[in-house]
Amino acid sequence: MRGPGKLLLVDDEPRVLSSLRRTLRREGFEIFTAESGSKGLALLEEQDVDVIVSDHKMPRMDGLQFLGRAAQLRPRAARLILTGWNGAVTERDLARLGIYALLPKPWDDGELKAVLKSAYAASAAAIPSRLAGLRARIAGARAS
Amino acid sequence: MSEADAAVRILLVQPNEVDLHGVGNALASLGASVQVDMAPDVRRALRRIADSSPELVVAHAEGNGETSALLEALRATGPPVVVITADADSTEVALDLFQRGAAECVAEGPAFADLLRQTVLEQIQKWREVTERRDARRRVDDLRRYTADVVQTMNGGLVVLDPSGCIRFANGEAERLLGAKFVRLQGRPLSNSFSNAGEGVAILERALRGGERVRSAESLLRQPEGSTVPVAISCAPLRESSGARSGAVAVFQDLSEIKQLQRQMTQTEKMASIGQLAAGVAHEINNPAGFVDANLRQMSEYAADLQQLWEHVTGLRRAAESGSMEKIRSAAGVLEASIEELDADFLMRDLATAIRESQEGSERIRHIVQDLRDFARPDPDEPERADLIHCVDSTANIVWSMMKHSVILQKDYQPLPPIECFPMQLKQVFMNLLMNAYQAILARGAEPGTVRLRSSDRGEHVCVEVIDDGVGIPAENLDRICDPFFTTKDVGVGMGLGLSTAFSIVRRHGGELEIHSEEGHGTRVEVVLPIKRPVSLPKRRATPRAS
Repeated sequence: MRGPGKLLLVDDEPRVLSSLRRTLRREGFEIFTAESGSKGLALLEEQDVDVIVSDHKMPRMDGLQFLGRAAQLRPRAARLILTGWNGAVTERDLARLGIYALLPKPWDDGELKAVLKSAYAASAAAIPSRLAGLRARIAGARAS
Repeated sequence: MSEADAAVRILLVQPNEVDLHGVGNALASLGASVQVDMAPDVRRALRRIADSSPELVVAHAEGNGETSALLEALRATGPPVVVITADADSTEVALDLFQRGAAECVAEGPAFADLLRQTVLEQIQKWREVTERRDARRRVDDLRRYTADVVQTMNGGLVVLDPSGCIRFANGEAERLLGAKFVRLQGRPLSNSFSNAGEGVAILERALRGGERVRSAESLLRQPEGSTVPVAISCAPLRESSGARSGAVAVFQDLSEIKQLQRQMTQTEKMASIGQLAAGVAHEINNPAGFVDANLRQMSEYAADLQQLWEHVTGLRRAAESGSMEKIRSAAGVLEASIEELDADFLMRDLATAIRESQEGSERIRHIVQDLRDFARPDPDEPERADLIHCVDSTANIVWSMMKHSVILQKDYQPLPPIECFPMQLKQVFMNLLMNAYQAILARGAEPGTVRLRSSDRGEHVCVEVIDDGVGIPAENLDRICDPFFTTKDVGVGMGLGLSTAFSIVRRHGGELEIHSEEGHGTRVEVVLPIKRPVSLPKRRATPRAS
């Protein structure tokens, strides 16, 4: 078995990070938090994170931009987006960037925990996730 | 003498064929300027008088009562009748004729012709004076009636003031606006009728003492039963022909309907901006609502954990009561294990944190709702003293939720004295300016922009600037941007009323709104407002100009 999974939470709202950490404290993850995309990327340079959950609407770098770049750093990590903006992220965005799931804000604790568990499992099965990462890299190259 | 006066028309009542006693000759000898008409009897004489209004009638006394009828008919309205009596006639005859209305009697006899001529001229002179006076009186009456009609039917309240500012006259509309009949208003100082007496005195003083014409000053009249009416006042000094000041005349225009429309307009515009804000505001509420919710769920788990700990504490107390060391040790062991398992130290610390964070979250929701409610609230009728920075800041807080992902907001506030204003309307101004700034930044592209809010105290005035580094306004649009419905925004983004509404609100406050913009570099909008609302609106329309 693997050791405790590493989970990165990114949100520009510290209180949201705090409540997420509270909710997930018994889920067996080592939890890291970052209040912006750039701080999240800096953290990913150092930590081999298994699961990334990011808010979407953030100043300067939004969630999709961040997760796109996160895939280049940690192609194995399962990436999820957590947003209260209905319609701001489309199915196409998710597919294009190989994002594992979109979760609503406010979230349902049970659903959140279950999705994180399966995301963690998916990150262990590295191949589909690598593919997703590759896809994301191609998409990133096209966009720039 | 005018032409009409030139020909003297005299009607002589006597049979055509005979010139009795040479009267006709005597009259004809008065000259070419006398025109003598003849009527053979009273019936035809009266018709002639009605047709050609002679200035004098000459008739003979011996007429079998005919002369009496003539005198009777002309008694009330004239013209005067000179009656020729026989030389032999007694004074009684003459007296009787005078009583019946004869203007003069001329007896036949020596020097008859001279006497007649002299009498005729005298009577005509007299009659002319009488008719002139009568005509003058009629003209005055007509003029008075005309003026009264104009004054009473005019669509404005008219009040005439004596030099001390007391009401000397008030028309119907003024009675309506002042809420009292003229009899009750007469002699009362008009300044008492203003909602703010100081302001009323100031307006009237300018006309009464300063001899100044005040045009369309906005003010509020208070009616005796307490309701108020917004009016525009124009006031001008009155002067006697000698040039001395004799008071003033004030004209009130009822602004109730206009104000009502303006309020509806502002309210509509405000509701439209709230619609635009809705998504941002919902998100801003959603975030704290989300984490407060998550915290509550977590805290209820903490409560269950605490319950479990409390049960072990109770177990320990029971063991202590039993006095058995073994039981105490065992219970303490269970408690210790539970403390370990539940991470009770963390639990206690985090419970306090979770409560604090949740309180902060609900506080934030309360603030957003409060700001929104403040913003949606319509203004009261009368201006109030308000802090302009609060107006800007609470509005910025609402808009902030929408634009925080694309905009860096810099606040550079210098404290301002409170100003007399309609704060809700000014919030609308700042809302519109902030929305424009936000859209100008969005239009520029992906990089976040900066909006600076700056306030400065300028003595008599206060100033708030909204400065953005967005796309700016092309020079060719600068002079049109304040026109209603002018918009360069996409359908659904703006109605084109934002700036025109802002302009008119600022103007109504006696302030100025200036726009300095450079295409591609950004826009600076300066809102300058007087601390004290001026009694008269500025004549000059605030016009935008490029810097």
